[in-house]
Amino acid sequence: MFQFDTLSLVFIALIVLGAIPNFFYSWGYLPHIERKAHYQLHYFTFVLSMIGVVLAANALTFLFFWEIMSLTSWQLILTETKEHKTIHAARFYFLMTHFGFVFLLLFFLIVTDGNLSLGFEAMHSIAARFAYPTLLFFFVSLGFLSKAGAVPLHVWLPYAHPQAPSPVSALMSGVMLKIAIYGMFRFLFDVLYPWPLEWGILILVIGSLSSLVGVLYALSEHDIKALLANHSIENIGIILIGFGMGMIFDSMNLKVLSSFAFIAALFHAFNHMSFKSLLFMGAGSVLHQTHTKNIEKYGGLIKTMPVTAFTFLLASISITALPPTNGFLSEWMIFQSMLGSSHMDDTSLKLAIPFAIFALAMTAGLAIACFVKAYGITFLGLHRSSNAKHAHEVNFLMRAGMILISLVVISLMLFTPYYISWFDKVLGSLGHTTVYTKIFPDGIWHLHSVGIRGGVVSPLILLLALLGVTMLLLFGYRTLGVKERIHRTWSCGYRTSPRTQYSATGFAGPIRRFFGWLYKPDEHFHKTSIAGHKSKFTDAHYEVHVKPLFEKTLYDSVGKAANFMSYWVYRLSHFEQTRYAAMIFNLMLSVLFSYRIFAHEFSWATLLLEATVMIISVKVLIIGDKK
Amino acid sequence: MIMYLLTIILLLLIAPLLLSFIKAVKMWLLYKKPVSLFQGYRNFAKLMHKETLISQEASQITRIAPFLVLSPLLVTLFFLPPVVAGAFYVSFVDAFTITGLITLSTFFLMLLGLDSASAFGGMGSSREAFIAALVEPAMVLTVFSVSMMSGDLGVGQAGVNLAAHFPEAHMASFLFAAISFFILLLAENGRIPVDNPETHLELTMVHEAMILDITGVYLAIIETAASVKFVIFASLFASLFLPFGLQFAAPVAAALFLVKLFAIAATVAFLEVNTAKLRLFKVPNLLGIAIVFAFLSLITFYVLGA
Repeated sequence: MFQFDTLSLVFIALIVLGAIPNFFYSWGYLPHIERKAHYQLHYFTFVLSMIGVVLAANALTFLFFWEIMSLTSWQLILTETKEHKTIHAARFYFLMTHFGFVFLLLFFLIVTDGNLSLGFEAMHSIAARFAYPTLLFFFVSLGFLSKAGAVPLHVWLPYAHPQAPSPVSALMSGVMLKIAIYGMFRFLFDVLYPWPLEWGILILVIGSLSSLVGVLYALSEHDIKALLANHSIENIGIILIGFGMGMIFDSMNLKVLSSFAFIAALFHAFNHMSFKSLLFMGAGSVLHQTHTKNIEKYGGLIKTMPVTAFTFLLASISITALPPTNGFLSEWMIFQSMLGSSHMDDTSLKLAIPFAIFALAMTAGLAIACFVKAYGITFLGLHRSSNAKHAHEVNFLMRAGMILISLVVISLMLFTPYYISWFDKVLGSLGHTTVYTKIFPDGIWHLHSVGIRGGVVSPLILLLALLGVTMLLLFGYRTLGVKERIHRTWSCGYRTSPRTQYSATGFAGPIRRFFGWLYKPDEHFHKTSIAGHKSKFTDAHYEVHVKPLFEKTLYDSVGKAANFMSYWVYRLSHFEQTRYAAMIFNLMLSVLFSYRIFAHEFSWATLLLEATVMIISVKVLIIGDKK
Repeated sequence: MIMYLLTIILLLLIAPLLLSFIKAVKMWLLYKKPVSLFQGYRNFAKLMHKETLISQEASQITRIAPFLVLSPLLVTLFFLPPVVAGAFYVSFVDAFTITGLITLSTFFLMLLGLDSASAFGGMGSSREAFIAALVEPAMVLTVFSVSMMSGDLGVGQAGVNLAAHFPEAHMASFLFAAISFFILLLAENGRIPVDNPETHLELTMVHEAMILDITGVYLAIIETAASVKFVIFASLFASLFLPFGLQFAAPVAAALFLVKLFAIAATVAFLEVNTAKLRLFKVPNLLGIAIVFAFLSLITFYVLGA
């Protein structure tokens, strides 16, 4: 029923590392919650069910815990149901997670031959005999990627995460999404191996799209938790890029590079768990103090909430992949594995991979803009509202949670070789080449890329060098004994006020304008002008809303199509009797006309004639006049 | 080892000189009386003696960010390709790390802009974030292309390899990469088509807007960072795209390297005199050109092998 192999254990480590700081944070957050028993019951069941999913050894156990995980997280979103939005978000999440569940169920029904208590190894032979392996791959991808939040099944994240209580958002975004990645590892390696080239390319494309889409919508977001949720989409995209590269290399028989890319994906999963949990906790603390999720109402919080501010800064640097943080290392590894594409024989693929590199680099650049915005507008400058003015540092338990998870971030940065040796063992246990000795050929100081003449990075040396040089500079500044004077900010003779600062909307303005073709922003601009002057006005109000493209096109149009069909079904069941008679007549007419086709006496002329008769008859007898 | 350290010290020393040189060339071309080449040092000395004025709205970030703006760039100086043959160099550090360090410095500069609650700072940060986001992909692709031609991802090793075996077979992609890198040099250092370093007009400035509230020693540090950044980019361009003369005797090679740096600075000055600053929303077009050239460089390398 349960199994304890290396892959499971490594993901157990991920859950534990993410959950323990979260316990402290959640404990500190508890006074804020009204339905305490409901919350705690579901919270602990949620954590245990995630462990259950990872340890499950057969399909039934897996599905059972998977469903428990979905249901408890659904209930956790519904902890505070004051807002109508919460119920909507929870319903949407429920729908999306069960959309994925259906595909998982289909997958398991096929690969277990109906015997759901079959182990994973036994499934491999059944799957190998199945005539359409790509169908199975689609089932697995749809099932897990709808949970992980990859394009185009990502739409629920920016709704569900902001509505959940902050510890839960941290847990859902940091840990639960990785359980879906675990599913990808488990079933693609154990059941569906070997993979055709196309599968890897598909995952790579989904990853590249997710990373770009996630970061672009994060930039246009004003709700801090929705912003972080969009960044989860981005980071899942980055993990999938690594995963897809691994699959591509494996199907091209470049085993060493393949293992390297998978290790990069696993490493990024761990990193994302650490810094995204920290970011959600920080956002939760800010939300707890200011009672608003609107980023425009924050400002200047670094002065009153230093612990939150500095841990958030650490996470921001890490998520934007700046050296020498852990986020940089995993993204570096993913970049290096993509540069390994120059070893491929397939020229068209070699030419296509740079586009994925472009997507990832663009994502990295935009993520920097986004986190400067998130950090700068939230913590720096002047208070933008009285809520932010009266904020103070959160209680000890919440601080402890944030500090603990930032220690996890730092440990991932300092003990990279140790973590990588875990991931390497995972790959080994899944029957792939182990590459630890190639990544760290000479001690723990230098992290090598495994490509021929690949790059090298030395995280610890970089960290020490940066710290050392900064300390030297600071020391130099201190010894100079410079006189310091506090004075007002210069703003052309006027006083600085909260209203004269740049807002988050303004900060993202250039990028929003440049990507206007994608955002299609819904802008409302109202001003009361003086005496008909265009540029002189007493007050002005500007609002901009961006509705994600995927939601507008894919989801809304599916909804519209369903509406349209149900309308016609409704019409059909409410016809008058004469119409039913007319329909029967038309049906008979079409049977008669189609006789020629079945009798192989087809001719275009009669088809044309008969079609005309049919159309006229349908129009006159059934549809009738337009009312 | 001694050559290695000497090179770093030399680069640090000539950093302000290069920026003053650009300014002097521009003034000379505009029939103005050129500024002294030592103006950079004078400004530095002047700022070092001033008191530091800190905004009352500023937080801890203002007190640590200037150091974190400069220190990644100083660390980067240690990873540059060698100037003379046989000198020690850090062979393994790759261009992603260097790009990352430069971006780290920009990250703190952008936070610094937002810290003092002034509208200018926010404006500068916002624009810088926009430009930096578009520079990143072009940079990575160019680096990829150069690493293919030199056969090594390490920047130091790439410089040595290119000097030893000039990629004559891949002249086309080499040139495309060079064009792309030069545009990035202009964009990253805030030179004229992208940003005007000499103006303090709010409509046009990017870099200056971010540091409007910084004074005294902090300003000296930030200005040093700007000049060091230019030296890093210029010496990368010199080592990767003008890779000749390394084999001469040490003094000659070093002198040749300096000539290259000044030639790059002069080119920047000529360009600045002859072009107008682009509107912010035209800047993506220029960076788009850089991205396209980087792609072209890769594609010609793969498909034509040229």
